[in-house]
Amino acid sequence: MSLEVKVCVLFGFGINCDRETAAVFEMVGGVSERLHVNRLVQGERNLSEFDILAVPGGFSFGDHLGSGRLLGNRLRFALRDQLQQFVTDGKPIIGICNGFQALVKTGLLPGPSEASLEPDLIQRASLTLNNTGRYEDRWVTLEFDSQSPCIWTKNIQRIECPVRHGEGRFVMPTAEDFNNLEANHQLTVRYVDPVTTIGEGIQDELLPFPISPNGSMRNVAGICDATGLVFGLMPHPEAFYSMWLHPEHTSMDIGEDWEGEGLQIFRNAVEYVRSQR
Amino acid sequence: MQEVRVEVTPLQTDGMRDVLGDVVQRQLFADHGIDVGKVRSIRGYLIRSSYSASEIEPRVQDIFSDPIIEFGAADTPLLEDKNFFPSPPALTVTVGFKPGVTDNPGAAANDGFKVLFPDGDSFISTYVSYAFLQLPDDIDHDWLASTLFNGLIEKSILTTKEQLESGNATYLTYPERPSIERQAPSIINLELADEELIRLSTEGLLALNLNEMQTIRDHYRDEPTRAARTNIGISPNAPTDVELECLAQTWSEHCKHKIFASKIHHIDRETNEDTVIDSLFKTHIMKPTHDMAKEVDWLLSVFHDNSGVIAWNDDWSICMKAETHNSPSALDPYGGAMTGIVGVNRDILGTGLGARPIANTDVFCFGPPNWTGELPSTLFHPSRVLRGVHAGVRVGGNESGIPTINGSIVFDERYIGKPLVYCGTVGLMPRRLADGRESHEKNPIPGDLVYMVGGRVGSDGIHGATFSSLELTDESPSSAVQIGDPITQKKMMDMLLEARDACLITCTTDNGAGGLSSSIGEMAEYTNGCEIDLGKVPLKQEGLSSWEILVSESQERMTVAVAPKDKDAFEALAQLHEVEATQVATFTNTGYFHVKHGEETVAYLPITFLHDGVPQLELESEWTPPQHVAFTPPNDLDQSILLKEMLARPNIASKETWVRQYDHEVIAQTVVKPFVGVERDGPGDAGLIAPIHGNSQGIVVSCGIAPRYSDIDAGAMVAASIDEAVRNAVCVGVDIDKMAGLDNFCWPDPIESEKTPDGKFKLAQLVRANRELERICRAYHLPCVSGKDSMKNDYGVWPNKISIPPTMLFSLFGNQPDVRKTATSNFKHHGERIYLVGTTFDELGASEVAFHLKERGDVEGIGGQVPLLEDPKSQLDVYRKLSAAIQNGLIRTAHDCSEGGLAVALAEMCIGGRCGAIVDIDGIGGGDAFTRLWSESLGRIIISVEAQHELDFVEIMEGADIHLIGMVTESSEFTVEDGYDTIIQADVDELTTSWKGALDMTGVVE
Repeated sequence: MSLEVKVCVLFGFGINCDRETAAVFEMVGGVSERLHVNRLVQGERNLSEFDILAVPGGFSFGDHLGSGRLLGNRLRFALRDQLQQFVTDGKPIIGICNGFQALVKTGLLPGPSEASLEPDLIQRASLTLNNTGRYEDRWVTLEFDSQSPCIWTKNIQRIECPVRHGEGRFVMPTAEDFNNLEANHQLTVRYVDPVTTIGEGIQDELLPFPISPNGSMRNVAGICDATGLVFGLMPHPEAFYSMWLHPEHTSMDIGEDWEGEGLQIFRNAVEYVRSQR
Repeated sequence: MQEVRVEVTPLQTDGMRDVLGDVVQRQLFADHGIDVGKVRSIRGYLIRSSYSASEIEPRVQDIFSDPIIEFGAADTPLLEDKNFFPSPPALTVTVGFKPGVTDNPGAAANDGFKVLFPDGDSFISTYVSYAFLQLPDDIDHDWLASTLFNGLIEKSILTTKEQLESGNATYLTYPERPSIERQAPSIINLELADEELIRLSTEGLLALNLNEMQTIRDHYRDEPTRAARTNIGISPNAPTDVELECLAQTWSEHCKHKIFASKIHHIDRETNEDTVIDSLFKTHIMKPTHDMAKEVDWLLSVFHDNSGVIAWNDDWSICMKAETHNSPSALDPYGGAMTGIVGVNRDILGTGLGARPIANTDVFCFGPPNWTGELPSTLFHPSRVLRGVHAGVRVGGNESGIPTINGSIVFDERYIGKPLVYCGTVGLMPRRLADGRESHEKNPIPGDLVYMVGGRVGSDGIHGATFSSLELTDESPSSAVQIGDPITQKKMMDMLLEARDACLITCTTDNGAGGLSSSIGEMAEYTNGCEIDLGKVPLKQEGLSSWEILVSESQERMTVAVAPKDKDAFEALAQLHEVEATQVATFTNTGYFHVKHGEETVAYLPITFLHDGVPQLELESEWTPPQHVAFTPPNDLDQSILLKEMLARPNIASKETWVRQYDHEVIAQTVVKPFVGVERDGPGDAGLIAPIHGNSQGIVVSCGIAPRYSDIDAGAMVAASIDEAVRNAVCVGVDIDKMAGLDNFCWPDPIESEKTPDGKFKLAQLVRANRELERICRAYHLPCVSGKDSMKNDYGVWPNKISIPPTMLFSLFGNQPDVRKTATSNFKHHGERIYLVGTTFDELGASEVAFHLKERGDVEGIGGQVPLLEDPKSQLDVYRKLSAAIQNGLIRTAHDCSEGGLAVALAEMCIGGRCGAIVDIDGIGGGDAFTRLWSESLGRIIISVEAQHELDFVEIMEGADIHLIGMVTESSEFTVEDGYDTIIQADVDELTTSWKGALDMTGVVE
């Protein structure tokens, strides 16, 4: 087996964060390839060649008919077998922003409640228009559930990074749906008030705009499936790979280490793959 | 073919919202102060396919509606569904597209539909219904509908409660495009009297003058021409309609910049100068740049390509282009602006062998958003123009994945007649491709195949170039308006960049103004000829005539040349990306632009005549300085109150609501963002990006615009614009020795005629503007590498004509050595020393404060000394020192001092830092305290420096005019003193409220 951790970064059809997503995996020791969705659909390549799958942000198909929906359909109908095999093989998947929307609409997130089940590709949640009705680019503060099974977020408590979306409000039909995910610690990452103590920021009650930029139920920013391998979030950790991308870096004394807080998420996945060998 | 209607509406269960409806309610409140009550939305899809409603119904949730948040149904009008509308809404406005108008949601829906329903052709048209549940009685239904759609491109149906109750509701039907029959090319007789020639030009929207029409006529009198034409089998003595249209496009003001190329007889009544200028462009723009090119090695490609290219480092070059899309944006703000931004993206993609767009800039000039004065019936209210234009560039930029990193919005009453929509894009490309070719150079050879890539050709966008070369009137054609399709373009961009890197491209350019006639016509100059077959061009609609196919400006198209050996690889790549690429022409070296439609030759024009045949205009210019009542401010003003008013002036107020809706961080490279400071809401001066992931070398992008000064002197306007762009760039630490500029002129018609009796004056303004452009750029060693002009920015007919103030946007892009060492405008820490770099003069003429006090009725006029830049050479030296101080890490706070002078700049720095400052303006320059507070003298930047670096800073600035003016404090007070007098004392939170509230315009968010 090759020692390389191979990362498939999807692109095409309006995905537009593929370059930086590929770059951050390289920064943490992965070997990224930007791969057009159709190279998989047409059978020229296969997901089984890769160890990690990343579905980056963007405006796939212009987000018409709902964000991520048409890309989700391509994955659900044209790549169904490859995708199910990838998950069954226990390989990590991340969806960021539009990629998260696509994974939710594909049904990979949150997925069936028991970790042992094969993905059934049934949609159980959705991401809908921000309460403001506006697309916005702004930095938010995120806090992570330390007990989450998510392999992507180990040892990360709180980070800042930007959101850039018009449809980031996470919703599910009932409170029970949320309670179940919360009990499984699948509500991996939430928007929190930056003035709160680290580790104590997470709350269920709706936070005001702009602390919660979209009005997500229970302030959810991202979730994982029951296995903890599939992870999706609206904010963009890849957009905070270096401190020079932080909005206030000119007020900080940074010294020599300019690594941004977002990079650890990607490093976790690469290290997880290595640890499984 | 069957037609099935699918409708979708948000669920109304606990926690679900109808955000689209909420937004309509809020915006009507924000713009008109009217509360229309609850609004609900329905999205509709009209599907034409071989599938029936019963086949589609089970898959509605797989394609059209989201099962968690929406309800969707086939062939069931939701308005009549009691579950969603227990009682019929008071009024429902349904808005759909007119036939032939780009319907992006429809195209996307059809893409999704085909995944599940692949058999046969399918077509989908979309609409949206806004249901006003309980409308107040006094609201006029037609007025309400008019706020929701644009009749030029959309149609609407109004459904009342009564109609629903009586079962008489009507529904939108599929927008049927009437079939058209292709017209065979006609022969146009030009052997006519002069007035007939002019009529031919006017009625045909050719925008050619008499001399140009005569030049074309004379071409067909030439015996060798006639012989060649007989030989090829085309009418020997007269042009075909294809040829005449092709010449009109190629020779349009829009494409040939005839005013900038004209011979101008210039008289100056002040100095008695009487001279002739042979081309403003060659004299004042091209020559200075070419002179500068002899001194540096980084100017790779200037003026001749779609954008100007400079070497950024050994591996990468960068390019930039800015365009205007004013006329289309006046007619349809949304579609016009969107095609503006995606169009300039294509200029970058069409530079060299293709550059990748990495950053956008947007600068708009509008009428005041709170305008309550008269409005000609054919013009939109400025707030609607603002919303529409903003939405267009937002969608165009965001969906293309290109961050918008810099821009501005300027307001003036005269832009009500014609808004200015400047869209700029920066591109990045490798210096060399894998096969060793330099990617900024095109290198086609005869025999190369020419592809049209991307969208198809339709009747939308015919006559855009010639139309924009005419003034706007009631009769302006709707075919000039289009809606962009960013996703089709994004797919094309992905594909072409892959083709470039695979070394498959020998030449490329975009299809913008003039369509294929311009794109292939321009590229054919490289090999000296081409042969096009219009019969091969994929059409949106059958039946277009040859001339329409040739000149249509349908969007999202690139023209790409490929060597015959690479044909298969190129076509395979297009197929992979689901991009249409069709070979429509071949390069030749015959010397002719040879156009066939099938076997028939429909145009046969010598390349030299097509490109160099247009006769030079000869114009008259005469400068008499305009007379203004002098600005004499009252001496009893409370400056603290005045500061709050100034911060709320639309030209100064925060545009955060608008700018945040642009993605300014996609691609993960934006180092200095549009908003900075502790609350991330202080103004950013220039955009700074580090586009190579992991590498800290940066690119600065900034702009300057100062149209108010044109009221006194358009030359001063230009100098101020350039200096502002440079100041902004210096504020983030630009590399002074590697920066390049772009000049984008927007002028009212400067050709004297019955329609424009003051043409000589407007042309003299242009002369003075160009002279200042040359003077400042030479002194700053700032080469202009690309530019554009838009010369007919007027509305209406003399004497009721509205002309814009002469406006030049100056955009700058340059190197920044290390983005880890940069500065932002927000004050950082208590105790930092505040310095003013530069000298303050008594320069209040046409200042923002003068306009403010005049609009308030406090003063009679805005006249006086306009800011000048008398010694730009030594100014550059100051900038070099300050940039060095930033690059050395000594300075991390710097802010440009412009509209509203020192007072506004300092207030903005306090707002960004949410901290106070105490400042003394005694001794910083000439004039009384009012003058020193509000004067807009150029060359000034405010910095703050930590005490430990102060001496080093002072040392590095030796020889520059710097003034220690104060200190950053922990308090929330902003205090300005003049010696012993306190002249401003203001609470920073209150200043923040004034600055941020004025242009919020969001309505209330629950």
